[in-house]
Amino acid sequence: MKQVGEKKTMTDEFILEVQDLKKYFKAGRPGWFSRGENFIHAVDDVSLKLKRGEVVALVGESGCGKSTLSLTLMGLEEATEGTILFEGNDITHLNDRERKSLRQRIQMIFQDPYESLNPTQTIEEIVSEPLVVHGLAPSLDERRERVRRALEDAGLKPAESYMQRFPHQLSGGQRQRVVIAGALVLEPHLLLADEPVSMLDVSIRAEIINLLADLRQSRGISVIFITHDLGTVGYFADRVAVMYLGRIVEIGKMIEVLESPQHPYSQALLSVIPVPNPRLRKKRVILQGETPNPIDLPTGCRFHPRCPVAIERCKSIDPQLIELSETHRAACILLAK
Amino acid sequence: MAFQTVEIKPAVPSSPLLGFWRIFSKNRMAVVGLVMLVVSIVVAVFAPLITPYDPQTSAGLTSGDIYNPPSAEHWLGTDDAGKDVFSSFIYGSRVSLIVGFFAAFISIVIGGVIGIVAGYYGGRLENLLMRFTDLLLVIPDLPLIVVIVALTKPSLFNIIFVIGILGWTTTARIVRSQTLAVKSRKFVLRARAIGAGNRHIIIHHVLPLVLPLLVVNAILVISLAILNESTLSFLGLGDPTAISWGQMLNFAFGRGAMSAGAWWALATPGFGIVWVVLALTLLGHGLEQVLNPRLESHHLMPGRLTVQSEAEVESTEKARRRESPVLLDVRNLSVQFVNNGTVAQAVQDVSFQLHEGEMMGLVGESGCGKTTLIMALNRLLPASGQISNGHVYFHGKDIASASEEELADVRWSGISIVFQGAMNALNPVRTVGDQIREAIVKHIPTMTPDQVDKRIVELLELVGITADHKDHFPHQYSGGMRQRAMIAMALSCNPQVVIADEPTTALDVMIQAQILELLDALRKRLGLAIIFVTHDLGVVAEMCDSVLVMYGGVTAEHADVDTIYNAPRHPYTQELLKAFPDLSQPEKRLVSIPGYPPKLDALPAGCRFAPRCPLAFERCLVEMPKQYELPGHHIASCHLVES
Repeated sequence: MKQVGEKKTMTDEFILEVQDLKKYFKAGRPGWFSRGENFIHAVDDVSLKLKRGEVVALVGESGCGKSTLSLTLMGLEEATEGTILFEGNDITHLNDRERKSLRQRIQMIFQDPYESLNPTQTIEEIVSEPLVVHGLAPSLDERRERVRRALEDAGLKPAESYMQRFPHQLSGGQRQRVVIAGALVLEPHLLLADEPVSMLDVSIRAEIINLLADLRQSRGISVIFITHDLGTVGYFADRVAVMYLGRIVEIGKMIEVLESPQHPYSQALLSVIPVPNPRLRKKRVILQGETPNPIDLPTGCRFHPRCPVAIERCKSIDPQLIELSETHRAACILLAK
Repeated sequence: MAFQTVEIKPAVPSSPLLGFWRIFSKNRMAVVGLVMLVVSIVVAVFAPLITPYDPQTSAGLTSGDIYNPPSAEHWLGTDDAGKDVFSSFIYGSRVSLIVGFFAAFISIVIGGVIGIVAGYYGGRLENLLMRFTDLLLVIPDLPLIVVIVALTKPSLFNIIFVIGILGWTTTARIVRSQTLAVKSRKFVLRARAIGAGNRHIIIHHVLPLVLPLLVVNAILVISLAILNESTLSFLGLGDPTAISWGQMLNFAFGRGAMSAGAWWALATPGFGIVWVVLALTLLGHGLEQVLNPRLESHHLMPGRLTVQSEAEVESTEKARRRESPVLLDVRNLSVQFVNNGTVAQAVQDVSFQLHEGEMMGLVGESGCGKTTLIMALNRLLPASGQISNGHVYFHGKDIASASEEELADVRWSGISIVFQGAMNALNPVRTVGDQIREAIVKHIPTMTPDQVDKRIVELLELVGITADHKDHFPHQYSGGMRQRAMIAMALSCNPQVVIADEPTTALDVMIQAQILELLDALRKRLGLAIIFVTHDLGVVAEMCDSVLVMYGGVTAEHADVDTIYNAPRHPYTQELLKAFPDLSQPEKRLVSIPGYPPKLDALPAGCRFAPRCPLAFERCLVEMPKQYELPGHHIASCHLVES
């Protein structure tokens, strides 16, 4: 395996270490004659460690920065500040060649399986494309064999019956499997899954989530699963990180967050997830309004304008993550002892 | 997309080329153009075999042979030098086609490269290239070509070169905008994530999607080049060693064909030019239609009338005993699509009743016919669809057989729809207030403008939008607000029934919760009956009173919400519940239903769910189950229920 970037620390336990990561986008000047510039604080001070073979779910509403975070981890957006260590190497800023060789080990699955496949390519062309781009498996037979294996690993069996088809001849679930096969063919160590099931029918969501769970079991792939729906991640995430306006507001083991959420935002988010049993209709905490725009951030706690339990101090104090147990942390001053 | 009702597709071709040919061969315009073009190419290639005389030598040099009318010897007469017009005409096609194809090739290559580079890389490079293109576009082509050709040696090569090098501007602009569109698509991002470089992305992802447009454009550029060449030759700037149609015209005009009454010397080359240009234009437009089938209108065609194919089938569902009166009574409703002679049964024999203040969940996977069903309730089916059987009683009147005038009364003011994807269902160039006004004015023409204004504000406030947002455009609204605006629009004419077609599918969970809360509040406040179309079983459990589960166009199960979730009888309902994540049991492993829903133009013979059903037995494969009635107004279509 080639070494990428500067070697900083040797940590075998963690595959990914994100430290104080910030990603700001320019949003133009506030007015015609004013100085300075506005920034969209898409990701603002995020730290996150991912163990080998671990599945972490990033949960939050649109505009919370979860997609920007994943694009920054992927190197498709350049980080503004902070560091990203991948397998012990600093990958925050890389040149094109280093970035390309890193792509073999970090792959991404996109949200919309209808849009993320080129309609003019056959399934075989789509799945073998990464091999061609990276000059792997130069012989046609070898390439075809790897494509076949990736397709079957992604649950498209027998692979031969799919290879010559075009995306429009497949259903949504099958297409998402092709997208997954295209990521698997490079045998990545880390998979970023950006809302991989939100566009699919509920009956098909289960099979895609089960597929990801199986891949993690059989290949030991680490997964970052990005979603706005806590309900879909419960099944296979080890840990859950809840994001709000560019920050992680609560992080902990899946069971800890789902069964005893501590941050008022996580509590609200959990309460509105529909439970498929009319006998368990429950009290929902429905937050009013929508996530404020990340240009003019609220003072103090970013969540206070929508928080149902906010107190006066929340307007001035920006809360840091407080350790609640060895694994569970949340950022709310009400939790401080 | 609001309309997803076109569920039947023609048999899928095995390769795109074959599929292309199949559609192409059905387009009369394109085929005629192609045949005409092929004829002229064949004529040009085999010119020496066709022509009776050498076009360079005169048939005779006596003055009597000049401007001879058509005869058996000279089919199209002779020209001013006594040469055979027919032979010159045939050879002329060579020059026209050579100039056309080669000049267009140069234009297309230059225009394609500039368009792709500008569109793909963007930034300063794009600015530079496109401003240069604009500059060339303002300079009139023809005078420039004339000047350049006049200044250089008039040879065929020069003419091709000049026409080619000046004819790429429109191509560049079209290619650039197509490249911009392709560049923003997700598969390009995916290719970048794979690690692909720009060259790879351009060759493998951008070019294949730009190519169809380029081909269409190329054909039009060819005809333009041919016209330009003819003009040049007519002006006397053609290559004197190669006879072209333009030159024939030039000679005929210059040497007194008009005064000699020799119409054949003028009409023949004119006909040649018209023939080739017409061929190319037909082919170009035909190709455009073939490659972009959306040009044909779809939903704006008038709907078809209901066809009652058989005598009224006796309702399997007896009137239900409920306190509130029945608003909508659907009986044995069937809808079919007819496309190219194939019939697809999108909805078959669906019955249900909707009571005042009731919220009914309509659940099913994509393609199960739920969208078709709700469109049929308002007779808003696309042109290929029609109600083939059954009734939709609304206030005792049968919508299925109502006239267009009667329908206009029911649509929106009786039954209204909240469309899926509020972003697309709103007109981006009109304010939200304006769009609500449109619906009110159309249906309640008696209202004064002041009253309408008041009503708009009232409606917006009803859905939780403050009055100051009335004059904003949809893009100034957030996703949740747009969905609220859609609901306000649906409520504008005081409907009794609101059909909500996946109103929360694209929304975040918190916004979804807000919209659901709003719908629930409106139902209680206004006594609305709501049909809630969704594939999300969780939402249905939270909101609805009754549930209709559809599969493959038929009712799988229909019962009150508690029965559906706690005592479902149809295996499909049971499997669907197992596939749904449930936070009250987070450790449960999800079980997905193997296989895929049936295609509506290829439905299984027996029970439609049988191929995927874990409990299916022999009978299920051959016999379609009846809709069995169970105690408590519970219907399940499964053979297992019978026993």
